[in-house]
Amino acid sequence: MLWHYCKLGLKMKMHCFTQKMFCTSSLSPLQLPSRMETHLWYVLPNEVKSQSLLSQYVDLLSPIEKDHVFSMRGDELQKGALLARALVRTTISRYQIHSRVSPSSLVFRKNIHGKPEVIWEQSDDWHPPSLHFNLSHTSSLIACGVTVGSPIGIDVEEKQRTTKNNILSFAKRYFSCEEVKVLSAISDPEVQRHEFIKLWTLKEAYVKALGIGFSGAPFNTFTIRVGAANSNPEGSAIVVVPLEKPTNLTTNWQFAQVELAGSHYAAICRQNDGLSGGAMEVIVRKTIPLVEEHHVTTIDPIVPVDDFS
Amino acid sequence: MASIAASSSSTFISSHKPNQAFNFKAVSLAVNGKSFQSLTLRSAPSRFRVRCAATPETVDKVCSIVRKQLALPETSEVTGESKFALLGADSLDTVEIVMGLEEEFGISVEEESAQTIATVQDAADLIEKLISKN
Repeated sequence: MLWHYCKLGLKMKMHCFTQKMFCTSSLSPLQLPSRMETHLWYVLPNEVKSQSLLSQYVDLLSPIEKDHVFSMRGDELQKGALLARALVRTTISRYQIHSRVSPSSLVFRKNIHGKPEVIWEQSDDWHPPSLHFNLSHTSSLIACGVTVGSPIGIDVEEKQRTTKNNILSFAKRYFSCEEVKVLSAISDPEVQRHEFIKLWTLKEAYVKALGIGFSGAPFNTFTIRVGAANSNPEGSAIVVVPLEKPTNLTTNWQFAQVELAGSHYAAICRQNDGLSGGAMEVIVRKTIPLVEEHHVTTIDPIVPVDDFS
Repeated sequence: MASIAASSSSTFISSHKPNQAFNFKAVSLAVNGKSFQSLTLRSAPSRFRVRCAATPETVDKVCSIVRKQLALPETSEVTGESKFALLGADSLDTVEIVMGLEEEFGISVEEESAQTIATVQDAADLIEKLISKN
């Protein structure tokens, strides 16, 4: 049985040792996010060590997913790919959607730009929820964002990530002029590197939310403007500004940035319905699929600052 | 030269040996239902390649840039058929690799073309096409 915990510090591990058939009743159900909430789930690969647990994850996958996982070059990459699929399958199947949905019964496809989505079983007496998800991984953290009623894009990066290229050279090549100016104004190279990583995750989250990817929305065709928290009366500090006219880039999107596990920056982008006053309500849960989860109550929203010097 | 790492999808991770390479002498290799012409049969028509294949030197340079960007150990095999995604390249890695290729070869790669690059060979072919345009 899987226990659902809401408080940090109350940790009791109960491992699910079903051999052949996975019982959906051992995954406790979850309330769907309200239209104003965004759920963010994450798993740390180095906390998942049990071979029997990894085997259970393999059993959840479709044949194509298994092929993909085992095509990854190296054990760590295979484990990461496996955890990503296990995370998305177990998480989505738990949202009180349909009694017949189990982690292994979910069917996924990619849209024409390659963005993954769930194909729900259609029937006369059931209308699937407008549930959206997006995955992102680094070698040390895998995250899945879930929303209802809005496309979502997320991106995670290690805070310590370095670039092989010089940051300003990279920004001049790929980012917008305004973004280059903002980064150039940062005198401390470490701060500059952190701000670069955060900006990268915001831009990636946006194009993933749009579902058209990097090729569909080259990064120098839009600016992500990060203002100080009190500069905008709506309370929304991060906006996207398309630079070309005409443009296929829409602007009714809201952004959030959080730090995960003290080691990663995560950016989330979802549609702005104009109701939630700009600030995104993010519920973060750290998990080991099939085993445990913790509602992370002390996430640090990254508050934008005006002055870096 | 055209060695491909094959994998069994029915083994669990602990017993799987992902770095085992199999040398195929066969004319074509079926991988996940698609067939690829080996590098030694460049003159044969290919349904899946619309560009002329790049030289081995270009492929080698791309491999070395990829290896450096992804910090792959020397023992890790990188060939023309290597897929960036399977080597663990995320989006930032891919963009950095493209930037490295632009600097190495003196070319400019449109972001829209980035979608067409899935393997080292794709990158090498695109490079030669862009060089010949300059």
